[in-house]
Amino acid sequence: MGKTIIWETKMDVAIARAKAENKHVLLDFFNPG
Amino acid sequence: MDAVTYPNESVIEFIQKYMIPLRVAFDAQPLSTDFNLKWTPTLITLDADGKEHQRTVGFLPPEELIPSLMLGIAKSYFDREKFSEALSMLEKLLKDYPKSDSAPEAVYLRGVCRYKSTHDPKPLKGAYEQLQVNYPLSEWTKRAYPYRLL
Repeated sequence: MGKTIIWETKMDVAIARAKAENKHVLLDFFNPG
Repeated sequence: MDAVTYPNESVIEFIQKYMIPLRVAFDAQPLSTDFNLKWTPTLITLDADGKEHQRTVGFLPPEELIPSLMLGIAKSYFDREKFSEALSMLEKLLKDYPKSDSAPEAVYLRGVCRYKSTHDPKPLKGAYEQLQVNYPLSEWTKRAYPYRLL
């Protein structure tokens, strides 16, 4: 297991991965400050 | 979230195992408008078709984020009538995080899943009885109150 979360930044990429890996998407709206 | 929750090893392992993490700025368009974003942090559980099944607003510590994500995944399965998968995730939530804020809703949803998959009303009454004993002050105990008569 990695030591950090590797975030996707594009919805289409995240959805494609979710379909391919049979997973859900955690969408985090954040304030970069 | 960046200082406390996301660096947590259990959080990292859960997300790696069950989810694709996607992070966007609160003002990123068109997603901000599409998801009616009003505040941060807002965490949304989507299925692989991009459909929303749960959202939370505000900080969550590791011991609350993981069961919250479990509940979101269970809701996704429930919404698509995949009751076996939903029940599996709910059982894991209740086994690993029985004291979490998500646990009472998980007991409620587990009862509904069991009812919808068997058409036997006893699980609904059982859910109320478990909620009354273990989470007497929860809003989910109130929501299950009518099931005491089944």
